Amino acid sequence: MGRTVMIVDDSLFMRKILRGILAEKGFIVTADAASGIEAMRNLHSSHPDIILLDIILPDSNGLELLESIISACPNSKVVVCSSIGQQPVIQKALDLGAKAFIQKPFTPEKVAEVLESLEA
Amino acid sequence: MDMSLYRDLFVSEARNHLSAFSELIVRLEDSPDDSAAIDDLFRHAHSLKGMAATMGFEQVVAIAHLMESQLSRIRSGEFMLLPVLADLLLEGGDTLTRLVSAIEVASDTFEDTSRLTELLAAYDPSGEAGGNLHAEESQEVAITPPQTAVSAPHQFRQADSFKSIRIRTETLDHLVNITGELITNRYRLAESIRLADAVECREPLNQLSALLRNLRDEVFKARMLPFAFIAERFPRLVRDLARKQGKEIQFQLTGKEIELDRGILEEITEPIVHILRNAVDHGLESADERVMAGKPYGGVITLTVRRDKDHVEISITDDGRGMDPEQLKLKAIEKGLISTEHAAQMTSQEAYQLICTPGFSTAATITDISGRGVGMDAVREAVHALSGVLTIQSQCGQGSGFVMRLPITVSIIHALIVECGPFEIAFPLNVVTRTAELNRSDILEESGRTTVILEDIHVPIRSLLQALNLPVTPRAEGALLPIIVCNVGGTQVAFSVDRITGQQEIFVRPLLSPLSYLRGMSGATVTGDGRVLFVADVNTLA
Repeated sequence: MGRTVMIVDDSLFMRKILRGILAEKGFIVTADAASGIEAMRNLHSSHPDIILLDIILPDSNGLELLESIISACPNSKVVVCSSIGQQPVIQKALDLGAKAFIQKPFTPEKVAEVLESLEA
Repeated sequence: MDMSLYRDLFVSEARNHLSAFSELIVRLEDSPDDSAAIDDLFRHAHSLKGMAATMGFEQVVAIAHLMESQLSRIRSGEFMLLPVLADLLLEGGDTLTRLVSAIEVASDTFEDTSRLTELLAAYDPSGEAGGNLHAEESQEVAITPPQTAVSAPHQFRQADSFKSIRIRTETLDHLVNITGELITNRYRLAESIRLADAVECREPLNQLSALLRNLRDEVFKARMLPFAFIAERFPRLVRDLARKQGKEIQFQLTGKEIELDRGILEEITEPIVHILRNAVDHGLESADERVMAGKPYGGVITLTVRRDKDHVEISITDDGRGMDPEQLKLKAIEKGLISTEHAAQMTSQEAYQLICTPGFSTAATITDISGRGVGMDAVREAVHALSGVLTIQSQCGQGSGFVMRLPITVSIIHALIVECGPFEIAFPLNVVTRTAELNRSDILEESGRTTVILEDIHVPIRSLLQALNLPVTPRAEGALLPIIVCNVGGTQVAFSVDRITGQQEIFVRPLLSPLSYLRGMSGATVTGDGRVLFVADVNTLA
């Protein structure tokens, strides 16, 4: 399992924090996206090993986007990211093929732990 | 990991969420079926919660979480957004805004938010346990300062890619001044070239002129901001005032995307707030009165911004009780503001303008809201200071409309230059409706008033010299009388002058004391050959 990551989150704040954490933990962020459209565009150019996907985005239904990502890039592993209180959506995401989830708020260790676990 | 590195970014992004928040709540209250508004609100609360949780700001997390939960119940169709919950959500947004400001300055102490969280958690429209801010402590809502709803504009998102940078507003002001001086200097250069008959300089001068026009346009473009920049607070303002007055009001806002100079936007905010307040307090009737008059229960206030060439028109209308010109005149006579004779000659349009006279108030009772702050005289003054025109329309029983016609930029204007006695005076083109040269037979004298009929309307003629308190020299027999007709508060007034010399782009500098006391003059400019030219303020001249 490689260590390239794409971050999909409409919040610049979240993207920056995740970039910081991932760099510290030895991952390489190859792309990020603030919207579903941007995610699909960047996906084709960067083919990341892991995609960190915020399930609530302004322009897309997160679950539909998840399906599009999985069918466009079946080799990438999608990790769903969301705040507390979204358990039903997370469960649906896992049913649709997401490999894991990270609940906000997260610690750098938790993010690393989830991503490392994908390699097993 | 050092989270403080991300604090500025958190503050900026949190503000973006919060500024969208109050506007959306008001929108949702007006149209409860607007599912896009619910989704957006939910997403803003949710994102804010996630960010705050990551930074460890527990109070923000708690409030955002409770707001999100209530919104999620609305989204699932469990209940509709009722005013009580809307109040709570708005209060939540205000509290969050204050918390974010405290976070911005790295404050150690945060306000106590336990009461708000209790109310938010307890809210349930089906049960008795509903939290009602008004019922318990109506004062607290009333004193919420409106500026908490004002947000910082986007800062990081665009700056991120280095495609744009932030710039101090003073720098933009300097740029306008330098550009204005350059334009003045170009006129002087052109004059010297003409006098020296330096043919070889003409081509470079033409190029310089073209470049200066480009520079002027770019500098102005950099200062432009969409009306939305100030409009965010208006729906909330109307909604809160309406709630306080117990009135039901639908507020419609169009033209948010129209751009104006930031200086003008700054100056026009307070006048708009005042007109909106008046519309809610005095313009619109109570629901009972409306029903009795056969009108719909709820009133409508519209704020429309539209671009008309070099101008922007901001109109605020209501479908309330309107104004009766005769009553306005009576009131003005009673207050000693005008004479009975003067009143008899007044048009309706002029009568409506009476409400802008200092010391005039149309409401029988002055509510706590409109009694405070600026009155309509200050509104008119602010509009005039921007070289704008305020027009008032009204229809008894049907409503009133206030239209502010403003230039989209400041300082550099097109003007008509006239000669008058020893002076040259510039009239801003935006107030000039036409010019004419009159024969003696065109001029009518009746009951001490000099008028001319233009397109079937009697337009009063005033001598510009007289208006400036200068001695009037008699005209040669048979000479034509040049006049410039101006729009003064919606009425036409003609000024007679000695000669109309032409049109020019001028850079207006404000008059400083003691020249600022000159009546009828709003500024000055320097001409190509170095003479000083005063800029007329037709509103005080007429």
